[in-house]
Amino acid sequence: MASLSEEVLLVVKKVRQRKQDGTLYLMAERIAWGPEGKDRFTVSHLYADIRCQKISPDGKAKIQLQLILHTGESTTFHFSNESSALKDRDAAKELLQQLLPKFKKKANKELEEKNRMLQEDPVLFQLYKDLVVSQVISADEFWANRLGDMNNSDPTPYNNKQDVGISGAFLADIRPQTDGCNGLRYNLTADIIESIFRTYPAVKQKYGENVPHNLTEKEFWTRFFQSHYFHRDRINTGTQDIFSECAKQDEKGLKSMVVQGVKNPLVDLLSLEDKTLDEGYGVSTTTPSTSNANRTVKESSNAAIIKRFNHHSAMVLAAGSRKGETPTDQASETSSTDGNSRDSDFFQPPVRLQEAIEYEDLQRENRLKTVALNLKKSDRYAHGPVPLQSQHYTTSQDIINSVNHIRHEMVNYKPNLTQVLSSTAASSAITALSPGGVLMMTGTQQAINQMIPTEVQGELKHLYAAAGELLRHFWSCFPVNSPFLEEKLTGHLEEMLQTAYSKFHVWQTRRMLRKT
Amino acid sequence: MKLNIDGLLVYFPYDYIYPEQYSYMLELKRTLDAKGHGVLEMPSGTGKTISLLSLIVAYQKAFPLEVTKLIYCSRTVPEIEKVVEELRKLMEFYCKQTGESNNFLALALSSRKNLCIHPEIMHANIVVYSYHYLLDPKIADLVSKELAKKSVVVFDEAHNIDNVCIDSMSVNITRRTLDRCQNNVDTLQNTISKIKETDAAKLKEEYRRLVEGLKEANVARETDVYLANPVLPDEILQEAVPGTIRTAEHFVGFLRRFMEYLKSRLRVHHVVQESTPQFLKDIFEKVCIDRKPLRFCAERLQSLLRTLEIADIADFSAVTLIANFATLVSTYSQGFTIIIEPFEDRTPTIANPVLHFSCMDPSIAIKPVFQRFQSVVITSGTLSPLDIYPRILDFRPVTMASFTMTLARTCLCPLIVGRGNDQVALSSKFETREDFAVIRNYGNLLLEMSAIVPDGIVAFFTSYMYMENIVASWYEQGILENIQRNKLIFIETPDAAETSMALEKYQEACENGRGAILLSVARGKVSEGIDFVHHFGRAVIMFGVPYVYTQSRILKARLEYLRDHFQIRENDFLTFDAMRHAAQCVGRAIRGKTDYGLMIFADKRYARADKRGKLPRWIQEHISDGSLNLTVDEAIQLSKHFLRQMAQPFRQEDQLGLSLLTLEQLESEEVLQKIAKIAHQT
Repeated sequence: MASLSEEVLLVVKKVRQRKQDGTLYLMAERIAWGPEGKDRFTVSHLYADIRCQKISPDGKAKIQLQLILHTGESTTFHFSNESSALKDRDAAKELLQQLLPKFKKKANKELEEKNRMLQEDPVLFQLYKDLVVSQVISADEFWANRLGDMNNSDPTPYNNKQDVGISGAFLADIRPQTDGCNGLRYNLTADIIESIFRTYPAVKQKYGENVPHNLTEKEFWTRFFQSHYFHRDRINTGTQDIFSECAKQDEKGLKSMVVQGVKNPLVDLLSLEDKTLDEGYGVSTTTPSTSNANRTVKESSNAAIIKRFNHHSAMVLAAGSRKGETPTDQASETSSTDGNSRDSDFFQPPVRLQEAIEYEDLQRENRLKTVALNLKKSDRYAHGPVPLQSQHYTTSQDIINSVNHIRHEMVNYKPNLTQVLSSTAASSAITALSPGGVLMMTGTQQAINQMIPTEVQGELKHLYAAAGELLRHFWSCFPVNSPFLEEKLTGHLEEMLQTAYSKFHVWQTRRMLRKT
Repeated sequence: MKLNIDGLLVYFPYDYIYPEQYSYMLELKRTLDAKGHGVLEMPSGTGKTISLLSLIVAYQKAFPLEVTKLIYCSRTVPEIEKVVEELRKLMEFYCKQTGESNNFLALALSSRKNLCIHPEIMHANIVVYSYHYLLDPKIADLVSKELAKKSVVVFDEAHNIDNVCIDSMSVNITRRTLDRCQNNVDTLQNTISKIKETDAAKLKEEYRRLVEGLKEANVARETDVYLANPVLPDEILQEAVPGTIRTAEHFVGFLRRFMEYLKSRLRVHHVVQESTPQFLKDIFEKVCIDRKPLRFCAERLQSLLRTLEIADIADFSAVTLIANFATLVSTYSQGFTIIIEPFEDRTPTIANPVLHFSCMDPSIAIKPVFQRFQSVVITSGTLSPLDIYPRILDFRPVTMASFTMTLARTCLCPLIVGRGNDQVALSSKFETREDFAVIRNYGNLLLEMSAIVPDGIVAFFTSYMYMENIVASWYEQGILENIQRNKLIFIETPDAAETSMALEKYQEACENGRGAILLSVARGKVSEGIDFVHHFGRAVIMFGVPYVYTQSRILKARLEYLRDHFQIRENDFLTFDAMRHAAQCVGRAIRGKTDYGLMIFADKRYARADKRGKLPRWIQEHISDGSLNLTVDEAIQLSKHFLRQMAQPFRQEDQLGLSLLTLEQLESEEVLQKIAKIAHQT
């Protein structure tokens, strides 16, 4: 596995993995671990496969580093060198921190996408488990038609990729937890850090200036959360933390945004009124003075909150529309610190005067006629299916009686084969008697729900979905116009269906057995 | 299409028409026929402006001798620009239909762009400008004095017209005003002595003119050339300027004495309130200033400034203010009050004396307009209750009507949320204003709405202070954080530039699909001037009833005046005022029949008949009995249902025949009968 030409960036000895001593190697493209005395790696992960790393909190007896892979598996390394364990771990962590993002970029976009799809769609995940994990079909085949759209219709996905914006509440997502000894612990993820950096370039600049020369990363974030800057309701009382400058910069950004003014004349409050009264005229010209001297501490803190919310929202908005700027784009930083993304210049106020006076419904329509969705019961569309309420109530005695009656008749039933129903009548009778049919309206669905344990229902659903998926694969092979499809069809698809069938059969028998 | 409105051929530049537009034009024609005044309420977004323009232009063309000019007044610059745009559309339609070139001259005036020289106003068929050009005597004198009597005046968006009237006649004097005035007077003095050396004849000539009196102005008014200036009352036109202020030096000396007196009045330690006669008595006793020369102050100063050929009048704004005050205070013994406050209520330790000379009677400023022009139409989307306007503006309308919005689908959904989910009564009333439970429930309402309403939500608070406190409280409780998960938050600030920026960002966020919430205040600039069409406002939440700050002495004086002179009870007026602002706020979201929006009234007091009954009819009729006292949860359920229904496609065919008519449909007897029901006469 280990080719000789691989560059080794860091070697850490005395690292335990699964209670085995060994050595950790960080190479250009992967991280690997080999047990002591052996010259092969028993653990090896490409950086691209690693989703994130986690470290044990300071003060814990065991100094550990955990790698979590995209697949969900994880590997934990325990640094056991007594004298330098912490240093070793941090060295490895730092290096990984630099390396991982690079590979994250390169990391298989598909993999991420698949992961996301699986996470977001529990049904798909189950299907994946049923089909791929149990090796009915291969993972590639499973993804083949799912990701098809993504790969085929879009030959240059990278260029057309839509940027993901930032959640407006990302700061709120950093829920502080008490650590049990009068402290607070903030959990930061790479995503949150990126959100902070994208929204507040000033903080990113500070980070670049101070970390790691003046402060460690941890110290930096600790100070961030302690700063007045983070807590919007506190007014900056002039304490000299490194973020006071950020606050000033924000203030400046906000000012410059305000000075720039708005492009849409319809929202420009400054020029809304044609003639404001001259000074000294009017009833309410003596507005309460807003000078700071007259304001109480509470009032200025309230005003500060309001300002900060406006600024925050503007920055989030700007960060969302800032395109093509990689987070490491240094040159763009200064220009974007004022929250005015250049893209927002392209934002055209939609309500132009012409449009504002237009009454589209007073004009004859001359756009293309479209086919309208014709809903018989729009209410049902809006609310989803509602269980039908039975109008007639039958007592349980009635039901028992009629059941007995039918049973009695059935016992004595003799088919009169010469006088059978016509096929249409028969099929309509079947429909009527099937679940959902006219005669089965009352309570049938509920009865099935109640009769069968949810567990069985769930399993059946999975089997059904899995079989359906296979059939989808099967039908997607038609028309068979390539050797690959032919191979797929004649070769393993048949096999797969067979497997699926036997799987169902196994389940069925197992269930039957359990029941009896 | 070409319409037949009660025998008048009206060109209407659209293929279809709303029934209420037709009905509106009928009422308008009746008003013009009777040469009287009218009060017409029609919801915004039903094409009020184009109906007005179409009918009045047609009327002018048909009876050029009866109506010579249309004076269209609106409040904001965008509104004025919209009117001009609609007028342009109408004119183009005329040209296309008749094949004639346009011989109609229309003028739009706004201070920033194209200040027009007034001879042109004389010739224009249509003048579009801001209220102030007609109601503020200081400008009206310059711009509107010579407008023809046979004009039709339209005040659009007139729901606040009484306040505009009052503002234009009220004066505030601070120490700073007096200091600046002092400088002005010094400059005048210097200029006079300089001119005396170089060109004494000029001053003599002025003196001669003043002996002649203001005859010229009087002749003009009697021959009905001019619009009367409420500052310059009739009586003084017949008299000569009194001898005591006839020479320039005497007048400057007089001004000094008056100023010193005002300075002494500002040296108070407690609040003083007095009537104008009391003030005049005091000034006579203290500094021997008579009523008569005071009345001529404004006119005398204008004459002096003209004589001295002072180019930049703006520099003399302080002395002009004082002179105007002198004239007003000596002219009106009723309708005004003088309040001298030594400090602001919030900061009793900082001396900041202000003399408020407050007009309490809006009819004073608008009286010349009603007297001079044959038809004055007051119209707005929210003018309820209609009968209060003629009372407070002191005029007799020939037509008063409120029009509903005919709807093919109920595109507005007013809900009154009176309780939280914990059954706590929701209200912004003073006693529960700080109540934690109310604030929390309000927050909960906004949070839940932010999760179900698409795109934009606008929330209004009763005052800026109230909003600040609630926002701070929501921040502490983490409610805002949770809202941010659903939408971005933008908040109005006292700074107009900052708010404009927030507004633009708000629209950007609605536009790009992220969705946003705008927190704003009733009576603020946003609530009065910004429309939230379509996705810019899918829901408006009115937190509390926006009563005016009742502790103000000026307001108290006005309420007393209304009670004594107009027999309007304090509470009635306050409720009327609060409800018109609430209606303005919630009305911001519905800007047409294809638009839709929720209107949430979050205060249990809205359920009471005296509040609800003062909402415009087009809102009131959609409040069902079941939605009078909802909990937050119930309101959310109803809102969800409403929004889903509204999200269904809505086509022109759905409206045709119901809320949209073709020419053929308009000719059927049945439809005309239906239309007759739209106008609700009062």
